[in-house]
Amino acid sequence: MTDRRPPLAGIRIADFTWVWAGPHCTLQLAHLGAEVIRVESSTRPCVTRMLPPFADFKAGPNRSGYFNQYNQGKRSITLDLKRPDGREIARRLCAASDVVVENFAAGVMDRMGLGYEHLRQASPKLIMISLSGYGASGPDHDKVSYGPAQVPLSGLSSLTGYRGHPPMHVGVSYGDPTGGLHGAVAVLAALLHRARTGVGQYIDLSQWETSIAVLGDAILAQAFSGRAPQRDGNRVPHMAPHGVFRAAGDDRWIAITVEDDAAWVRLAALMGPPELASDPRFVTLEARKANEDALEALVTSWTSGETPEALTPRLQAAGVPAFVAATNADVAGSPHLEASGAFTRFEHPQVGVRQHLGAPWRLSASPAGVKTAAPCIGADTDEVLGTVCGYAADEIARLREAGALS
Amino acid sequence: MADAEGPLTGLRVLEVGELVSAAYATKLLADLGADVVKIESPGGDAARRRGPFPDARRDPDASGLFCYLNANKRGVTLDLAAPAGRSAMDGLVARADVVVHNVHPSGRAALGLVYDRLAAINPRLVLASISPFGAVGPHAGYRATDLVSWCAGGLATLNGDPAHPELPPLKAYGDQASFQAGLNATVPVLGALFERLQSGLGQHVEVSVQESVTAILELTFEYFPYCGLVASRLGAKPIQPLCFMECRDGWVFVCCVEEHQWKQFVALMGDPEWAGMELFEDRLARGKNFDALQALLQEWCREQSVMELYEAAQQRRIPFAPVSTVGDLLASPHLAARGFFATLEIPTAGSVRVPGAPYRFSETPWRLRRPAPRLGQHTAEVLAEAGIRR
Repeated sequence: MTDRRPPLAGIRIADFTWVWAGPHCTLQLAHLGAEVIRVESSTRPCVTRMLPPFADFKAGPNRSGYFNQYNQGKRSITLDLKRPDGREIARRLCAASDVVVENFAAGVMDRMGLGYEHLRQASPKLIMISLSGYGASGPDHDKVSYGPAQVPLSGLSSLTGYRGHPPMHVGVSYGDPTGGLHGAVAVLAALLHRARTGVGQYIDLSQWETSIAVLGDAILAQAFSGRAPQRDGNRVPHMAPHGVFRAAGDDRWIAITVEDDAAWVRLAALMGPPELASDPRFVTLEARKANEDALEALVTSWTSGETPEALTPRLQAAGVPAFVAATNADVAGSPHLEASGAFTRFEHPQVGVRQHLGAPWRLSASPAGVKTAAPCIGADTDEVLGTVCGYAADEIARLREAGALS
Repeated sequence: MADAEGPLTGLRVLEVGELVSAAYATKLLADLGADVVKIESPGGDAARRRGPFPDARRDPDASGLFCYLNANKRGVTLDLAAPAGRSAMDGLVARADVVVHNVHPSGRAALGLVYDRLAAINPRLVLASISPFGAVGPHAGYRATDLVSWCAGGLATLNGDPAHPELPPLKAYGDQASFQAGLNATVPVLGALFERLQSGLGQHVEVSVQESVTAILELTFEYFPYCGLVASRLGAKPIQPLCFMECRDGWVFVCCVEEHQWKQFVALMGDPEWAGMELFEDRLARGKNFDALQALLQEWCREQSVMELYEAAQQRRIPFAPVSTVGDLLASPHLAARGFFATLEIPTAGSVRVPGAPYRFSETPWRLRRPAPRLGQHTAEVLAEAGIRR
């Protein structure tokens, strides 16, 4: 086999993002081998550097698991973008980059002289993407948007929840990774297009819109009938049982789903008694949906006596899709995820070797995935200024003295 | 538009997909200009039976989920379990750049979807295989539906109501694990195509749906390796208010992350006396005393209108959001001004609006070029193009 390189070897990304959506976008590009340079501020570090969990409960901007998860494989420089000399360094970095990624509020990059129209003067083939809550145009474009508010805004909260209960969150700021992944797709498509045509471009991504893109079936339900699907817990119209059921242990649960009538017969055989499989209340999907409360009560009475770890292999062996409702500790301790190479463990100068999650895919030929731990804040400032932006050592010292590198 | 073509125009993609994950991956490619051919078994993709449907006939060519995911594609029916079907697929593989499928690892060999075999036909091929638990490891043979994947990836246990510990860990609406997997397949596929510009060779991408979910656990996963703590849906939020509040005409999401946002919200409420209590002095105190805070906020919010409160909060730079219903989205002046919703033709339902471009490229358009295929609609056309006789 010939020597294969990481897919984005030689591609440089100037990363002006923060919190989660933007960093999730550039994480994908780092996984593919791009050189991702995060531009940070030591006076206003990324929110995720300042949020727990901190390694061993000791706070510090390099000790947060949140930052250290989503910034693996990237480099970090610190610049004071409020200063003209800091902005000049940023401009040089952009001029030396293939792609600029940012998720500041609308207009901020323009005001710093780092907008696309400015930057393309120096680099006509530049690709730039802005990830914003509402998009770069439209009457709401300058509204403020935080991750947790994206889920309700997108419509997902109104569709998610227990029956008869209020709208709910989904457990994470879901609009952020969904926006970030769509952003990575857009950047990669633009890179392929540029390779073919020599033309760069600007990409305007609205997290509101990427969040709606994963709700297509609900939009069509509304379009067809004038009504959206009602909040219905874990139930769905096309399968029953379809739920998360209490198992033995302290707040332990198992997901069990029955895709068709044959699968119900297999589940009923496991649950017993023998006549359950032919109980007319449950023989067809229609019957099971009509009697779903009774059905779920029966399933729960069967599951609640056993651990989800004991039930899962029995259900899987019977061809019934099922799994433990895993906690973060279950994920971290999963022998399966360990064997499949899901985790990364790299030395970090301040928190040592910690378990993190890597790329959720494997490439057969190109080296890819995480290659280094997340950077300490500003760790690569001197080297990037020297080798990428073309500053001499004495200029870097002067810029530091003047406060441009904080 | 300097270029009427999409950024991926000229790319030839085959999909062997059931339901959401593979279909969303190739939808992303098709919408950016790729020529996507969807190969279905004679019985058709299960998404054709899923709905929602425009009427009681449950017409498999009008299923909303299917039509949304498969617009811009051409459809071919082949029985890949039979030699003739497999040989027709091989003829298409010879001319393709990408194949994306979500056939379970245990069923791949029988359908000929094995990388070494396909690479022998076309060494430039990028093959993406999506499976519930990946292709190696002790659970590789396990099966999953979307709910099972959402749970196996650790997300459901993060969502629930601390006031109702008897209620189970809760899924998000829709097949979200599968959408995440589709996105996570598209990223390495495009990466592999970029690498192919150098090497001239394709490769195989394995994507795990479970890992596509573990990848988005936000800050919760690291609580275990960093602090030895188990995250739970029943834990209180450390900072408040970040909560749903009922207004007189719907729900609003109250969102004060920073202290200045809370101060602005207090001013918006007309500086009620209770807001000065020590119980609510900072975001952590408000988190600890959320029961009291919630009742007071609810009393005030109940008198407000969602959109008026949203606009008033935004004027003060507080990042509130309405809890949009699907109807609100379709009626949004902002989304309309951006031209977000696209029009899709569905044979038995006429024109309906669907989510359109999730990103705007300055030089290359995102376009809906054709409706989703009827079952087998393009079989003859596509096989003839490839010079394949049946």
